[in-house]
Amino acid sequence: MKTLLAIREREYEWVNQTFPSIHPLLLPICNKPFTEFLIDFAILAGSTEVRLLSDGPLAEVKEYCENGSRWGVQLSYATLQADDSLKDLLDKNRRFCGEDRIMIISGFCFINYDKQRGYASIMSQMPAGTCVSCPGGSIILAGNQETLSRNPPEIPLSLLPLDEIGSYFRISMETLENGSARYVLPGYGNEPECAIGRNVIISKTAEIIKPVSIGNNVQILSGAIIGPACIIGSNVIIDKESSVKKGVILDNTYIGEHLEVKGRIASGNMLIDPRSSASIAMEDPHLLSGIKAAGKSGTAGRKTVHAIAAAILITMQLIPFLLLFPLLKLQGRWCSGTTTCHADSSGKTFTLPTAEITGNSPAGSLAAAISLDRLPLLLRVIIGQLTIIGSSPIPASGETGDKPSAKSGYRPAVFSYAEAEDWPVNSSDAAIVERYYTIHSTPLNDIGLTMKALLNKLYEHNAA
Amino acid sequence: MIITETPEGCITIVALNGTLDASTAPELQKSPAINNASQTVVIDMEHVDFLDSSGLGSLIGTLRKKRNMSAETLLSCMNERISQVFEITNAHRLFHIFDDTSAAVDYATQLNSRK
Repeated sequence: MKTLLAIREREYEWVNQTFPSIHPLLLPICNKPFTEFLIDFAILAGSTEVRLLSDGPLAEVKEYCENGSRWGVQLSYATLQADDSLKDLLDKNRRFCGEDRIMIISGFCFINYDKQRGYASIMSQMPAGTCVSCPGGSIILAGNQETLSRNPPEIPLSLLPLDEIGSYFRISMETLENGSARYVLPGYGNEPECAIGRNVIISKTAEIIKPVSIGNNVQILSGAIIGPACIIGSNVIIDKESSVKKGVILDNTYIGEHLEVKGRIASGNMLIDPRSSASIAMEDPHLLSGIKAAGKSGTAGRKTVHAIAAAILITMQLIPFLLLFPLLKLQGRWCSGTTTCHADSSGKTFTLPTAEITGNSPAGSLAAAISLDRLPLLLRVIIGQLTIIGSSPIPASGETGDKPSAKSGYRPAVFSYAEAEDWPVNSSDAAIVERYYTIHSTPLNDIGLTMKALLNKLYEHNAA
Repeated sequence: MIITETPEGCITIVALNGTLDASTAPELQKSPAINNASQTVVIDMEHVDFLDSSGLGSLIGTLRKKRNMSAETLLSCMNERISQVFEITNAHRLFHIFDDTSAAVDYATQLNSRK
């Protein structure tokens, strides 16, 4: 048998909003990434090959799961479209499916299975069709049953939708309390219901009350009380005299001194109430939540190269600017203003100067052709607020005021990568080009692309 | 780049072999099945070893041109490297992508018969 795991981005959108630093398919449930539970179940059901399908980004999942050799299965990846039907999925993966029996696990749901049960034999006797379903998810079998049976057995499993933070919290707690016998969970421990990862330092005066699951690289300082019913992720510090009861502390979190976390989820510097989804920011003096974000921002090398290029461009544009700007200003053709844009994907904003050359005069056309309207923005490259080429700045208000996605690699810039290409005809095309170059372009490539954008503007105005 | 066109009923399979970039994208645009806006095509990408933003642009341009004429552009047999480009740019949301050319042809035939 082979398994298709089909998970659509809209089904896990809430995870992106609640835990922006975690890939939804790697959302830890009792310190085990969500996708691993699906793979485990596929193996229990007798699958030798698994394919993960999604319309969202899969790069982080591929990096984590690789080719599946760690589980002894062949794991591959493919894309789907949000409105693909079951038949479409089977058609689009025909080479993978071949003549084999296929189990399709669809939806962002947690499979409540039991590793002691013989799912392989049960599944082989099941006729084609839906085995189990829940709101937003299902397990469907396609192809003929491998073992003929008059009365197909009952399947000892259920599906639980992971559709909001409350269900995530509930499933995490249930997995902690009853899961050690049902699932393969990470961590080591001499006692049941107490799993501890690598490099965990527990103070002599700290108290651990079962059931608990503790990840790797964790420090629990003096007087801290952990449990009962507590899941602590990796790279976590629980400071002195703090207590965590019936809570989930996700990776890279610092719980300060004398804090009581009860029935809450802590992720990075956010403390979230799973019932109301309300959240507050906590103090994070160790910057545990910031380590990842800092690594993703622009490198010093790129900023230096861009600043030098901006300085050269400013020098080149200075004389034309001094000649044309007073003329255009007098004619009323140079309109300047400001706009508030997103500085990065965290929600921070900044105000940028804007310049627009209106009307159709020779001086205006010349100024637009040599990109004089971008001169005020070039100064922002020198101080490191913008890059010379990257993403078009996204306005922080109005119709397009949506915050850029953390995974889009948003880098507000003077020129956009889309301006360096001839083909983009709308904003969706421009977004494709920007995403392409955000990943593929080096600082030196950026200089070439800036030249290309400048030339494109020159030709565009000459042609007009 | 070598472009091979194979008619399959009312569908044409366009098999590409080589690099699809700024220098070869115009070649693809000139090929008869791609140029004919009302012709549904399955582009077999199995032997495409490199795709840059201009190549991507030519595929998206083809898709748009054909959809305006109620035709379709389907992609098949992408290797890992090429599918990564589609994934990071979100271009995979625009195309129907198959791992098997014959499945893509069947799908396109069904689409055509529904018209």
